[in-house]
Amino acid sequence: MGLFRKTKMMSKVLKTNEGYLSDSEHLLKTSLRENLEIIKDMVGNSSDIKIREFHIGQDRQIPAALFYTESMTDHTAIQNFILEPLLLDAWNTDLIQDLMNGRHLFEILKDLIAVGDVKDVTNFEELIFELVSGNAILLVDGYPQALLMGIRKLTERSVSEPTSQSVIRGPQEAFNENISVNTSMVRKRIRDPDLRVETRTIGKMTKTSVRMLYIKGVANDKVVEEVRLRLRRIDIDGIIESGTIEELIQDQTYTPFPTVFNTERPDVVAAALLEGRIAILVDGTPYALLVPALFVHFFQSPDDYSQRSDIGTLLRLLRFLTFFITLLSPSLYVAITTYHQEMIPTELLISLAAQREGAPFPAFVEALIMEFTFEIIREAGIRMPRAIGPAVSIVGTLVVGTAAVDAGIVSAAMVIVVATTAISSFVFPIYSIGIAVRMLRFLLMCLAGSFGLFGITIGLIMLVLHLCSLRSFGVPYLTPLAPFIASDFKDSIIRITRWKMTTRPRLLNQKNIIRQQDPALAKPEPPENNP
Amino acid sequence: MKRCLVVISILSLLLSGCWSRRELNELGITFALGLDEGKNGNVRVTAQMVDPGMIAEKTGGGGSDSPVTNFSEEGKTVFEAVRKITKDSPRKVYPAHLRILIISESLAKKGIGHILDILSRDWEVRSDFLIVIAKKQRAEQILKIATPIEKIPANSMYQSLTITSKVWAQSSAVVLDKLIQEIVSKGKQPVLSGINIVGNIKEGKNITNIQNITPNTYLKFDNVAVFHIDKLIGWLNDDESKTYNLLMNNVFDTVVNIKCPSGGKAVIEIIRSKTKIKGKVVGDKPNAKVVMNMEGNVGEVECNIDLTKPHSIAQLEKVFKQQETAVISKSIKDVQRKFQSDIYGFGEAVHRSNPKYWSKVENDWDKQYFVNLPVDIKINIKLRRVGTIGNSFMQPLRK
Repeated sequence: MGLFRKTKMMSKVLKTNEGYLSDSEHLLKTSLRENLEIIKDMVGNSSDIKIREFHIGQDRQIPAALFYTESMTDHTAIQNFILEPLLLDAWNTDLIQDLMNGRHLFEILKDLIAVGDVKDVTNFEELIFELVSGNAILLVDGYPQALLMGIRKLTERSVSEPTSQSVIRGPQEAFNENISVNTSMVRKRIRDPDLRVETRTIGKMTKTSVRMLYIKGVANDKVVEEVRLRLRRIDIDGIIESGTIEELIQDQTYTPFPTVFNTERPDVVAAALLEGRIAILVDGTPYALLVPALFVHFFQSPDDYSQRSDIGTLLRLLRFLTFFITLLSPSLYVAITTYHQEMIPTELLISLAAQREGAPFPAFVEALIMEFTFEIIREAGIRMPRAIGPAVSIVGTLVVGTAAVDAGIVSAAMVIVVATTAISSFVFPIYSIGIAVRMLRFLLMCLAGSFGLFGITIGLIMLVLHLCSLRSFGVPYLTPLAPFIASDFKDSIIRITRWKMTTRPRLLNQKNIIRQQDPALAKPEPPENNP
Repeated sequence: MKRCLVVISILSLLLSGCWSRRELNELGITFALGLDEGKNGNVRVTAQMVDPGMIAEKTGGGGSDSPVTNFSEEGKTVFEAVRKITKDSPRKVYPAHLRILIISESLAKKGIGHILDILSRDWEVRSDFLIVIAKKQRAEQILKIATPIEKIPANSMYQSLTITSKVWAQSSAVVLDKLIQEIVSKGKQPVLSGINIVGNIKEGKNITNIQNITPNTYLKFDNVAVFHIDKLIGWLNDDESKTYNLLMNNVFDTVVNIKCPSGGKAVIEIIRSKTKIKGKVVGDKPNAKVVMNMEGNVGEVECNIDLTKPHSIAQLEKVFKQQETAVISKSIKDVQRKFQSDIYGFGEAVHRSNPKYWSKVENDWDKQYFVNLPVDIKINIKLRRVGTIGNSFMQPLRK
């Protein structure tokens, strides 16, 4: 397959970069003192890393040390489940007998310690990684290995409502910053052994865990492999937000359109997984990524599925219409009023002309000023402290609206056009497609200002060509419009009723495309004998 | 190479842009054009430009100033005169929103073909404006009359003509395309509505004229001008105008007075009228058949008739048929005799039915064949409704 040819070359490069974790020189030493020195050296006496030295065994002969990161560890667990068994209850005769009989000390320790997640560690790299992840490490003198105890406890935000992708009806929970919570939210929606979770650690310093979720047999194996390769390819010091991953794995950088979908809603992720898409969860951010992402996905809201199909379809069409309104209304206004006055109905022409009497700037400049002002207000609205929000909106309304018109700097019709554009740009369920429209709007305005409708036509042709050339993980961006896939239209710009959605979208050829059997069976019908 | 392309495309954007850009406040939006004979065979063009600020005045108190301004210039050709107007006007004539073109009778008598060329050739002019003839008057004078209710005279005329041709049927709204098509056709001759000034012209020019409740001077659409090819040759009277419009299917709604069987008057409102004109050649003689299917309501009853009886309706229908057939056939005969110009398109009907025969007679059609063409008229009328009352409330008193 031609689409994947590029990545084969990439996988060669990858192998050379891997393996810095398994360096044999960094194996643990036998002497506790030596080990302590090395660890202290590595963490540089950081004050939040605590070392508790003590002796264990029947007569307290064996020196041992417990390491943990104070701020990230469950103190009660250390107290009750590690220190107490080790120091107080422990050493009854059975165990000592065992030790005498040659049973390994670490096996005995595992019987003692009441912690679920226990693991042996033999090298410093892993030891340090687990230590700074919040786990406790037990070192015993005379053994070149350490016992890892998973008692990590992080402060986390509770699961709350989605803030940027809200719905009228449907689940009201959003991801938070904890990847295990996020995974659980997806897992609890799809309780199937075929839901696979692959974890990898990305970022040389942040060591962020990144999880790739897909349903085996539903997701296309080639796409899964592709995502895996692209994730493996990443070689960076840190991942702070899923946006970094998005930028590093997307197909094309120089495009205003997003080719990776992002969502903070677990139900959206679950639905996408069922369609055969792949989710990427990143620790530390509530935004999950979904690939492949197609153009039509950005116009779909969970509400389309939770409400009836008729209103779902109409709202979707409305969003597509809005896309064009946002994209075109300022440029059409500029083009028609400066080049194609004959197209305006006569009465409207008179009223527009009256508004422009004495206007100092050409329509194009006027449009630029207004759009620019609006962008400023919008940006300010996001950045400013929440307390002064109302003040900015009042000033914004006054400046953009009344005052500018009264002062004769812009015409009233232009305010209407800009306001319509502004409102329309907030319709999209996903913020990132709105950004694309926001940028392209200015390009089209320039074309309209210098070539009129001709320029707009050229711009739109270029836009369509560009969209056709885009791919998201090998899948053409405009699927199912181009290439045209009739069976996928059932859930694209329209949304047909549930019992007719019998197959999954054909994002590349999938093996398991049947969603439900014969639609005739699925069609709801009243019982034959009405009581 | 690639860099070169980028530079060229950026330059082409920056250098060639804004080629034909015009802001709305640079346009002299012209709503009406008037064409008159000038001195020494020149043509005199009057352009009526709108002052948008005056019309869209938000606060009241407007009305003291005129919302339009007229500019007149003479030139050897229409184009020359139109361009000369820029000498007087701060803005260039922008004719895309032209509502009405007024041609003076004297100019129309000499032929209008040559002056229509620029209007059909220029890309700025849309072809949906109406064309009228200033009857016994200069177009320039017509454009000087201030109009009540609708502040822009051109708009006033446009609205008035559109509505009257639909519901009164004695004038005809003709647009450029139709006019040119009829000038060119040999089987159908053009007509244009006439417009006239009623009252004192000097008083009408003053804006104070429309401050009276009854304006002393006003514009009136009157009758229809008959053309032969592109020359005006005469005027139809009221009945002939109405007949013309009924035959051309221009009528949307009109009213007809009829005599009741028992004496007195009644009014039939024609709500639907569909006319078919068929031509036929029998032997070597063409003839035409006009079939009119009409539907009407009883609009007014001023006589003694019992509308609750079905046969009264049938009687009214019969009277209507007889009366209208007489009026229409007389009108057609008069037009044949007086003008010898086939404004009804009988020639085209013959052309459609027998193209071979038509090619022999087309050059002599108007003078030889149309004049003596036998026209058979058949009217079908159905009276649908009698309104919100049955019999006239005067009915019991009349007995």
